Amino acid sequence: MKKILLATAATCMATSAMADVNIGNPMAMTGPIPDLNAPIAAAVDLAAANVNAQGGMFADGETLNIIRADSACDPTAAVDAVTKLINVNSVSAIVGPVCSGATIAQAESVSIPAGVVTLSVSASSPAITNMEDGTDLVFRAAASDAYQGVALAELALANGFDNIAVSYANDDYNAAIAEVFVQAYTDLGGTVTANEAHEPNKASYRSEVATIGATSENLALFSYYGSGGITLMRNALETGAFTNFIGADGMLSDELIEQIGAENLMTSTFTTSASDDSTPSFAAWKAIADEAGVPASDPFVANGYDATFMMALAIEAAGSDDRAAIAESLRAIASGPGEVILPGEWAKAKEILAAGGEINYEGAAGNQDFDENGDVAGNFSKSVIVDGAWQAELIQ
Amino acid sequence: MEAYLGYFLYLLSLLTVGGIYAIFALGLNVQWGFAGLFNAGIVGFVAVGAYTYALLTTAESTFHIGGFGLPLPVGMAVAMAIAALIAGLIGLVCIRLRSDYLAIATIGIAEIIKLIFKNETDITNGPRGINKIPRSWEHFSEERFYTSWPMSWFASPEQWEAFFASLPNWYWQPLFAGTILLIVFIIYKMLERARTSPWGRMMTAIRENEPASRAAGKDVTKRRIEAFVIGAAIMGLGGALFAQHLRLIEPTNTFDPSKVTFLVWVMLIAGGSGNNRGAVLGAFLIWTIWSASELLIAGMIDLVGAVFSTLDPSILATRAGFLRMMLIGILMQVILQRYPGGILPEVRPASPKAEKTTAGATGETK
Amino acid sequence: MWDAFGFEFVNFYLIPGLVLGCIYALGAIGITLTFGILRFANFAHGEIMMSGAYIAWTLMTLVGAAGLVIHPLVALPFAAIFVIGLFLLCDRWFYKPFRKADTIKIVIASFGVMLIIRSAVQVIWGPNQIAFVRGISQPNAVLREITADWGAMIIMPNKHIWIFLGTIVLVVALGYLLNRTRIGKAMRAVSDSPDLAHVTGINVDMVIRATWIVGGVCATAAGVFLVMDTQTLETTMGFRMLLPMFAAAILGGIGKPYGAVFGGLVIGLAEELSAYPWIGDTPLLSPGYKTGVAFAIMVVMLIVRPQGLFKGRSF
Repeated sequence: MKKILLATAATCMATSAMADVNIGNPMAMTGPIPDLNAPIAAAVDLAAANVNAQGGMFADGETLNIIRADSACDPTAAVDAVTKLINVNSVSAIVGPVCSGATIAQAESVSIPAGVVTLSVSASSPAITNMEDGTDLVFRAAASDAYQGVALAELALANGFDNIAVSYANDDYNAAIAEVFVQAYTDLGGTVTANEAHEPNKASYRSEVATIGATSENLALFSYYGSGGITLMRNALETGAFTNFIGADGMLSDELIEQIGAENLMTSTFTTSASDDSTPSFAAWKAIADEAGVPASDPFVANGYDATFMMALAIEAAGSDDRAAIAESLRAIASGPGEVILPGEWAKAKEILAAGGEINYEGAAGNQDFDENGDVAGNFSKSVIVDGAWQAELIQ
Repeated sequence: MEAYLGYFLYLLSLLTVGGIYAIFALGLNVQWGFAGLFNAGIVGFVAVGAYTYALLTTAESTFHIGGFGLPLPVGMAVAMAIAALIAGLIGLVCIRLRSDYLAIATIGIAEIIKLIFKNETDITNGPRGINKIPRSWEHFSEERFYTSWPMSWFASPEQWEAFFASLPNWYWQPLFAGTILLIVFIIYKMLERARTSPWGRMMTAIRENEPASRAAGKDVTKRRIEAFVIGAAIMGLGGALFAQHLRLIEPTNTFDPSKVTFLVWVMLIAGGSGNNRGAVLGAFLIWTIWSASELLIAGMIDLVGAVFSTLDPSILATRAGFLRMMLIGILMQVILQRYPGGILPEVRPASPKAEKTTAGATGETK
Repeated sequence: MWDAFGFEFVNFYLIPGLVLGCIYALGAIGITLTFGILRFANFAHGEIMMSGAYIAWTLMTLVGAAGLVIHPLVALPFAAIFVIGLFLLCDRWFYKPFRKADTIKIVIASFGVMLIIRSAVQVIWGPNQIAFVRGISQPNAVLREITADWGAMIIMPNKHIWIFLGTIVLVVALGYLLNRTRIGKAMRAVSDSPDLAHVTGINVDMVIRATWIVGGVCATAAGVFLVMDTQTLETTMGFRMLLPMFAAAILGGIGKPYGAVFGGLVIGLAEELSAYPWIGDTPLLSPGYKTGVAFAIMVVMLIVRPQGLFKGRSF
């Protein structure tokens, strides 16, 4: 026991003693969505690698360390992980929690009281918008569901679906976006024929799809592909309950093609808050991601890269890894005025900042300009299958 | 200097969470250690306590029912009462089930309780959970508390604001941890008292030899339900504190049985079931291992990555969390086999009169 | 009659319910035997089922790399051998030390084994989903043609036919084993009355070993059938199946393999049928409560009739 404690203490000392810049990165390594999480974590590491390869942090080229912890999509684990990151690893800022619940819990319980900035990579719950009282410490690089749900409702009507059945996984992310979608869709004149939750991770959804399939040809599916989404979709296709599918980014993955087969997905459309592939930002990101073997268009992967890169820029612009100044400089580097910085252009940004200039980061997932609540508006694209792969097209 | 403050604050968080788990473990000790009731649905009572507290004390909200903004102690007291009430209802129908059967029934009931919290969206905000739960001591610096009675009676909002601004932002942490430790101490003292009282000795008698107790005219069922209800009330209080600590609760991941029910059982068995001191010790020890092992494994991965540079440490890093679970599982097996009675085994309370005659028989079990 | 109501009911509710029921049934056989003979609730059963499916997949991939495509049912026996080994090792290391101790110890130990096995699978194969069989399964054309001629069209993919046949074969073989062989009779004797069995000179160690072997074969089959049905491998699938399988075992009566089969079918059907629009157009019970159906049946059964439908042992 003593040995373990000593070793722990030694490792902690070793990490905090280095004169490097440390960013804490609590990710849902274990828990319900490890599949979704893995490429996002890879994107976070990729951003740090780009920074370090192009001169590192500050004038003396300090290393940017990503200190990863496991938030497991679970408030208990997230609070514990972030407590350790902030107190033991003395990180300057938090880029992280993937799930909305974990993000809110760690922010309210630990990081806001400690005055540490959080930039979430993928928390999209509308509850985060009005979470803070008088502080400005929580940001996110993914658009709120309040935006995506509306975009999806418009898309559904544009596709000619005047009635639709809704099935959503009963978890924080999917329940939230389904609610926004249903509201927007009915406001725009569509008819929701059925609106049912489904329990994630069941072995079969045949009865669910059959029951709601009797009401409409079209299904709006809100689910994580990794925890029941693929099974539900497969059951729906096998029983022929639905012909058209529409859904949000929890479903958009190459894994879906891998498992169900592109030939069966020709009537499916999924939106995502990223991947406006006509912009130079996305092209820059795509080049970096492809080279590193990171799936560029998977859900929230581009957001993960953006979040980490922006946090590094904010720390660089603040001039030190002191926690207090980071929030302000995060706003400054994210929006205009200033020279436009694309993903991966660390050396260029560093040079401008060193000369006292201003920059405006245009991210892979959108322009990443924060509003007063620390939210980003984000672009949305719809992805359909073209030649056996997802092809995204901007809709907003 | 700042680094030492960080370690101090982490230590406080270990004490806070360890203390909350100690409360759960003490509650379980009443049920299992005293009365031999195999409750495998701890998480259900914890969730009931946490949700009751959250709904009663949060500010009014559009997301869930109410947000009744009641004072914090009221929330905690009602959390205990509701958990006790539900335990009473469950006890009435389930208490006659023996060991494993009671365990499976309580698991099922706990899952149903969680499903209700998850699906009754109008009341609980469903899977998105309830946030902005007020935390003891920290809540004083929230505007809705210092602008209202009784705080407004002492000073104006501006004065309070200035006062809180003058405190370090972690001022509440030692106070919160201290409060939890105090609650653990009080529960411990009360349970020790109960254990050595005639009631406690009767519990032991019922657990060890039910037919004899029945023959001696004891109302076995009633005593069992009593123990079940008291244990659940303690768990409900723990749940309220758990909600304060997390400040956001949601039904799926917060109340994951493998992280609450299972962990609390490990704590009690490792510490020594039947021994209140063992329950507390087990809770702090296991939580410290649980929490600190993450730091340790992260260090180990860095080491492995440095030594075997050909290995891709990123794969290890993504799987470190699972490695940690595996090591904890193995550690638990070792404790179970090495210390069959726990680190602090049960010491039988002897009745004052018969102290000498029973002293020799305390080692015997079953 | 058949056109609207029957067609939908049979194809979208009844058959899926039976498929799920078969999987629960096979898992529950192992649970009920362990519960009856070793007298503890083995929480690691679901994980062992899951690891069996992973082994089968690995075998198929290895053989596939050599250019040979094999059906999952061919890989099943080999996976079963591995799973039986795993069961016996667990028993030797983690359960045997507690044979004479309190039940709680062995239950906690099995909970620990559950954690160890799941994390080991996650460390070895990674936590991500793996595609077991790509694509979607089309209904069996022959069956559809024939039944359509009869006026009652059945839409059933091949995988479900295999699952039904596999379950029937295993249950019949189990019946033979328990009723006609020496070891099977000994197992039943120990399950019914361990003390009496001991007195009559039955080799209890042998019976315990046989229990793990029978449970292992059924668990592997349940795991492989599950991934044949869902077509994806996932590390948490074992735990998700665990409580419904417990429910099935309790429903049928502890120590009663046929009761477990019946209980499994009932639980599987109840889960799928709970979403049927019995009244009006909306599901009878919100699918969000689907998981609760099995628990509710289990709890009610425990309260009303703890010995189960088939008069199993109640402690």
